[in-house]
Formats: sequence, structure tokens, C-alpha cells
Amino acid sequence: MARPRGTDGSLLSSLPWTLGALAISVAPHLPYLPIWISAAFFGCACWRYMTEKRRRALPSVWFRALLALACFLGVLATYSTISGVGPGSALLAIMASLKLLETRKRRDQFVLLFISIFLVMSSLLREQYLWSLPYMIVSTIVIITAWLRMSASQSETAKQSFLTGGRLLLYAAPLAAAMWIFFPRLAVPFWAVPMDTGTATSGISDSMSPGDVSKLSMSNAVAFRVTFDDDIPEPRDRYWRGLVLTVFNGRTWSMNDPYEGPRIHEKVSGQGDPIGYQITLEPTRQPWIFALDMPWSWSLEKTFMGPQQQLAHARPIDQRIAYEAVSYLDYRTDVGLTSYARSWYQRIPDGSNPRTQALAKQMRSAAGSDTAYIEAVLSKFNQEEYFYTLEPPPLGSNSVDRFLFDTRRGFCEHYASAFAVMMRAANVPARIVLGYQGGEINPIGGHMIVRQSDAHAWNEVWLEGHGWYRIDPTAAVAPERIDYGAGGTAFEGLGEAWGLSAPSKLLHELSLALDAVNAKWNDWILGYGPDTQNRFMQWLGMHDPDWQKMMLTMIGLVLGLIAMLSVLLVLRYSPPAKDPAAVLYRRFTKKAGLEPGVGETAQRFARRAIEADALPTQVIQSVTAAYHDARYGSADESALARLRQAVSAIG
Amino acid sequence: MSSILWPFPSPVGLLSSLKVGAATRLRRWAHKRQGTDPATTRLIPRRVYILPTGVGIVFGIMTFAMLLGSMNYNNNLSFVLTFILVGIGFVSMHQCQRNLVGLELTFAGTAPVFAGQTMRYCIAVTNHSKSARRGIRLYREGLQSDIHDLQPGESKVFILPVPTDQRGWISLERFGIRTLFPFELFHSWAWLHMDIEGLVFPRPAERAPEPPPTIVAHGHRQHDARGEEDFAGLRKYQEGDSPRHVAWKAFARSGQLLSKQFAGADTSSQWFDYDDIPVGDVEQRLSILTRWVIDADRTLEDYGLRLPGAEFVPAHGETHRRACLEALALFETATE
Repeated sequence: MARPRGTDGSLLSSLPWTLGALAISVAPHLPYLPIWISAAFFGCACWRYMTEKRRRALPSVWFRALLALACFLGVLATYSTISGVGPGSALLAIMASLKLLETRKRRDQFVLLFISIFLVMSSLLREQYLWSLPYMIVSTIVIITAWLRMSASQSETAKQSFLTGGRLLLYAAPLAAAMWIFFPRLAVPFWAVPMDTGTATSGISDSMSPGDVSKLSMSNAVAFRVTFDDDIPEPRDRYWRGLVLTVFNGRTWSMNDPYEGPRIHEKVSGQGDPIGYQITLEPTRQPWIFALDMPWSWSLEKTFMGPQQQLAHARPIDQRIAYEAVSYLDYRTDVGLTSYARSWYQRIPDGSNPRTQALAKQMRSAAGSDTAYIEAVLSKFNQEEYFYTLEPPPLGSNSVDRFLFDTRRGFCEHYASAFAVMMRAANVPARIVLGYQGGEINPIGGHMIVRQSDAHAWNEVWLEGHGWYRIDPTAAVAPERIDYGAGGTAFEGLGEAWGLSAPSKLLHELSLALDAVNAKWNDWILGYGPDTQNRFMQWLGMHDPDWQKMMLTMIGLVLGLIAMLSVLLVLRYSPPAKDPAAVLYRRFTKKAGLEPGVGETAQRFARRAIEADALPTQVIQSVTAAYHDARYGSADESALARLRQAVSAIG
Repeated sequence: MSSILWPFPSPVGLLSSLKVGAATRLRRWAHKRQGTDPATTRLIPRRVYILPTGVGIVFGIMTFAMLLGSMNYNNNLSFVLTFILVGIGFVSMHQCQRNLVGLELTFAGTAPVFAGQTMRYCIAVTNHSKSARRGIRLYREGLQSDIHDLQPGESKVFILPVPTDQRGWISLERFGIRTLFPFELFHSWAWLHMDIEGLVFPRPAERAPEPPPTIVAHGHRQHDARGEEDFAGLRKYQEGDSPRHVAWKAFARSGQLLSKQFAGADTSSQWFDYDDIPVGDVEQRLSILTRWVIDADRTLEDYGLRLPGAEFVPAHGETHRRACLEALALFETATE
């Protein structure tokens, strides 16, 4: 407490770099941090710099303690927890701000730099993009330069520190690469990690209420990428099964409680050729696993198929994952349906959507059979004035009635919901499947991209003697949606806005190229897990890779690289090549039998040698003169030649 | 050591005393291993030692925590960050050691001081390599020189300040050269045992008795100290100065009372005799004699020094002063 609080401007050369390192490490967190923390951070940084510049005093310890307590409570109030990436990085930012208020010596900046390293790391834990690696390298360089600035002497410029930092990073790079490749990856984490669930994700939610304000994702973000082993299925077969909704409350469709709904697993049998593929799923923070309808087997651990053939992982998918799967496009489900299950799939609230229920009963009796009835409903959608639009008008209560009889505009959710209600009202078991439909082939990467805008809802009806049968009512309204997909819509508007089609095409191709790079990046760098590592080790020629072999290889490689590094440093710090004149002169002093003193000039040595009568005076003088000319005169060869001659002339 | 560890907690009492004991043994071992060094010594790799600093240990713990985190999240980019930092650690270790290897140290002398003053040993450090050496400093238990960078081919004199307490030769049995470059993660150092000595004069007594009266060189009578032949200069008037010597003209000009001083052919001298001092303690006597020598040297008078077994006839000047002080410094030290 008795420590002086004044600043003396001694940090002026290192503080800007430390602040820069902190700023660059906080930057990726800014969208997630509460505004007061960002404001506090930048406020403290600017204030600290001005304090140093004007040599003001730092705040008292009481003020800082009070501020620290307030900030901690603030974080607790904002997040209601302090574990996890979100609150953790908020706390780090707060710690950095508070530490700035008491940074007085060069050494205090160590703490700040360590905090910025942790901030960079937590931003990598939060999200990983193509630019994450360049970002990380740039911030590492800034942090390293700040680190060197801290202990640099007054005469050293920032550029020198930067170059030294860059050189050391370059030395460290091969070591880091060797460790990264060979360090054995774990298949399962040691302990469960809390992830942010607060951040919004586009994607599929586990319920749908057509008629609420339209919130259909127009996002062009990638949902997942697929690489097929052999043939790529036709567009009309690209149904990516996700979750199944079986409960309707008159307005909202939702999943059934697993202990309440039909629990008997429906058996599936595939026909025709199975299709093998690999999916790289972007994080959804939901447990659903998507696969081509109908999935048969999958490589993901802790992933189970529900009673309605929906795949779910034991934990939410909070990281990009890759899995292999096999599907049958042509499949049959079990023919039997218990009476409990049958009534479950026929249930709609009494009295809701009365007009629809009446219409359904009337059409069903007119059709005669379930199949004919289904066709009648589909042709009603197809032939009557129904429109496919992504911006439908909102619907009031009895949303299905409003949609079917009044607005007649909607997208897949509206049609799937209306169709399912029509079926259930006529006692045909029906349910809704949520997933994706479509997918665009990336010609550069050879893979298929399924985007959030491909999200889709369709129906399954249960037919006597056939089992569950997929019906897509949206196809009856907008067949092109199914045949060509919704992909690329984002760029069409842009092209039209400029009255051109070329830019949109170019942009689209550019985005495909970027996507191809991204896919490879995801597969090989971000997705370098136990499987990829094993494959890579085998490709390198390691038999039966296991963690011991990899660890030993890594240690050996690191030791080898360190040995190389040490040789490099020895060369770097070796004395410069000897001046030939100096070598000749040395031979002369040896012949004279006298040792030149430290700092003794050639002239003085000559005087001493003459006094000692070591060699003939004339020889000493001519050697000394020639040495002088060769060393300090104009750089010409003749002086050196004279010196060589004079020295070799000595007996 | 605590300054290296700051701002991280330094080890508590027991640990630090263990450390001190270990360090002493290590130094002794190093001296035995290396032997005494010549006045010009070049550092070879085998005598440059290296250990992590407190910051380095914290850094190690931090990278280990980051490794665990990366493994747990199975996050490949944070693996990259972690391994870059580990690599930086390895590089830093080698760079730190290389920053010292090949430097040449030469003892460049020291100036004598009075006991209680700081002895400044000058040691020239030369960088013969083609790369700059950064953040070099010399040290001796608890004492440090300034930090300097050495450009390729450059030679700089490092001053190692050592406080003195006793008169006589004090030898710098051992000193070190060290560096924390580049990241202060490692602390690299070398011990040198050069035969370096500096002379310490006795501490001048603060309150010395009046020096013995001056004896006029010509004639046998005792006389006022000042001869009155040649005008030598003016000095501030002191009580007891004869009014005849006051410079009245100067007083009229400046209003200041000044006395004329004369350097007489009638030179006088003082004898400072060890046996005449009425104090028992040897060191106190030497202190008083030192004070008298210093004070007499400031006046223009000759003085002589008589020690048991040594005599310096009255004289003046730097050589005489140095000879007297040296004799006082080394008085009876050889018999100890």
C-alpha cells in the first residue's frame, strides 16, 4: 500500500504494444461481451495510456478493490455463472481492465500478456473459421513483440523487437507443427465442458408454429457438407432426415415426450443399393444428427435412433463433427402399428380448425380409400390457388383454417402442417419430419453443400399394408423447390438489383471456391481428430498407429528439431569470417614472438617490437604499413598482396 | 532472486533458505570445476548455466493448462496456439544460453575508494560474434550492473558497484554475467573467478582531533603557519586573521570581507605521527590519520606521515597522497 502510485513514463515504449496485444485478443469476443465490459476495457486501456503519457498517479488500492468486487458481481449478474467460455472470457477481459489500473512496472505487463494469450485461446474455443488461424498467428506476433518490448533496452526500436519476435516464432514453427501432427488426439474428453447455449444459432428448432411471424431461415450458412462414396442421389431424393414432430396442439407441432408417445421402434428394411457418404455437420447446439432418408447405419458413437427413426446424439453438437453413414433411398417400415400408436398419430385437439376438419371428413368419404384421399388433398394443393412464398402473412387462431381457406400462401411448414391436420382429421396416421431437402454440388470440392436455407418440413403417413410413407405436400405446390432446391437464392436478388446476372454468377462461383477451401480446411485442420490422425499416420507409413508410437515419434522429432535449432544458433552467433589481413598480421606477431596486448594498436606494437629487437626494424615497419593499408586504406588487393609478401619474407 | 519472480509469489522461508544453500554449494562446485580465470576470459558453452525463472515456471504451468484444455475440447486451433507457445519456450531456452556463449570478459581496472564508499569494478565485455547480444548484465550477490546490449563487434565497460566496509585489498572473488533475453522465461548465467582486487583506504574519521601544529621548515622557532612573501590569493575572512591582511579594496567593491593569502618561501610542514594520537584503537588511529591526510592535501602545505615501520617525509601532490593512503590502507594487514 505504501508503494508509490505515480507513473514515470518508463512504460511508454512497451505499453502501447501491450495494449495492442490486449485489444487484438479481446476483439473476437466483442460481439459476445456485454457492452459494459467492452466499454470498461477500452476505457481502462485509454485511461492507462494517458496516465502514463501525462505521468499521473494510479488509483488507490481501495478504489481498485471496490471496482474489482463490482465487476465480479456484474459478471455474475450478467451470466449467473462464472464457468464456460462466455463468462470466462468476460472475466478475463475484466481482469485485464483492472490489472491495467495497477500496472506500474514492466513486469506487471506479464500478467496482461498471459491474460491476452488466454483470451486468444478462449476465442478459438468459441468458434473456428478459416480466418481463425491467420488471426491467431497475427495476435501471437503482436503478443510476442509486446513481450520483447517489455524488457528491451531504450536503444532498441519497435521494428527490431518485431523482427526478433518474428525470427523466434519462425524457429518455433517447425517444433509446433511436429507436435501438432504427432500429439495423440483423444477420442473422448476428460470431463464435460460447459458450452454457451445463449448464442443464437440458425438451424432447425424442435417445434414449429406456422402462422407465427415468419422466421424461416434465409441464411446461406452451411448446415453440413456431404461427400458421397459413389453416386450422388437425384435432387428429388435428397431428403435429409432430422427430427419428427408428432404432437399438435391446434397451433404448434412439437415432439412427443419419449415416455408418453409411441415407444416401440419401427423396424426398417432397405431395398436396392445402399448409399454411403460422409457428413461434416456444423455445430447446432442441438442433439439432432442429419442423414439421408432413411439412415441404416452410422459411425458416430453415442448416437441413437429414436422410435420414429430420428437420429440423436447423447449431447448437443457444439463442435463440428464428421461421421460416415449408409442410407437406403428405397425402404419399408414395419407394417404393424399398435392401437395406441395409431390413435397417437391421429390425435388433433377437438374443436380446433373446425373448417379443415369438416373438409377432411367430407373429402375422405368422397375419396373412398386412404390413397385416393391423399391424392385428392395433394391435387387440391396443386390445382387450386395455393402459392409458395417465403414471406407469408401471419395467421390468427385456427391457423390451419386461415391458411387453407383464406391466405393460401405459405412455405413448407404451412403445407406440411395443413396436410398433417387434413390426414389426422380423416383418421389417417400422419406426422411431420423436419430436416433439409436438396443440396448443391460444389464442382470444385466435389462435395455437396446443404445450407440452412434448405431446411424443410415434410410428412409421413401410415398406409395399411405399406407402413410409413413419405409425402411432400410442398412438392405439389412448388415442384421446382424440390427439383432444383432453394440454394443460391441469396445471390439472385443481388444480381437483379443491378440488372445483371453475371455478378451473381461470379459471386456464386467465388463462394463455391471458398467453400471448397473451407471444406478441406474443416476436414484436415479443424477436424484433425483421432480418426483423421490415424489415417494420416498410416499414410505416413506407421503400422497400427497408437498413442505410444505417436508420442515417441513426436519426442524424437522434437529433439531432432531442437538439435537443428541449436546448430542454427551456433552459426548465427559464430564470429564473423576472419579478415585475411588480420590472419596475416597474426602470423607476423607470432613470428615476432610477442603477444599483442588488449587494445594495443599496430603502431604501438611495432614500437614495442622494435625496442625489443624482435625482427629487423625495416621488416616490422613494412609489415605494419602494409597491414594499415590493407585494413584501413582503400579496399584494393595490392595492399593485401604487399602484406602477404612482407609476412612470408620473414624467415 | 525475488525480483526475478515478481509479480508471482516467491517461495516461502524454508524453500528460499534451501535455495540459498543449494546456490552456495553450486557456486563452490562451479569454482572447483572451472578454476580461477585469467583477466581475459571467453565464455564457453560448458560454463554457461541455465534455469527457468519464476515467470518461466508460470508460463510452463500455463501451457500445460492450455494443453489440457485443447485436449478436452479437442480443439485443433488451440492445439496450434499451445504448441507454438511450447515451441517458443524451447527456442527461448536455446536463445538465452547462446546470448552469453562466446562473450569475452576483461578486467578493466578499478579506482581506490574510502571504506564505506562503493567500489566500482570495471569489466569490459566484448561481443566477437556477428549477432547482437541483448540484455546483458553483471552481478554479484545482490548487486547488479546496468543492463546493456552489445552490437556485433562491440565492447562495453560494465561497472559492478560493490559496497566496502573495511580497509585493505578487497578481492572480487567471484562475479556473474547473466541474461534473461528473450522472454525472461529462462535465466542464463556464468560465474567468473578472476583475480580482481581493489584497494580500500581507511574510512576518514568524521570528528578528528586538531592536527598537530605546523612546523616551519626554516629556523627552529614555531611560527604562525602563513609565510608572508608572495600574494597567493584571497579567501573568506576568518576570525583570527590579521586586519593587516584584509583586502580592503575588494571589500569596498563587493562588500565582502576577504583575507589575502601568501605563499611564503618560508614553507611549513606537518608531521602526522601514528604514535602521537591519544586513542587506543588501531582502526580509529588510522581513520584520524586518513582524515588529516585528506584535509592537509586540500591545503597547499606539505605533510609527512610516520607509521610504525614506515615514514613518508613531508611532501605534496597526488603521488604522495596516494602513497600515504595506501600505507594507511595496508597498515598491518599483511600480519593478519
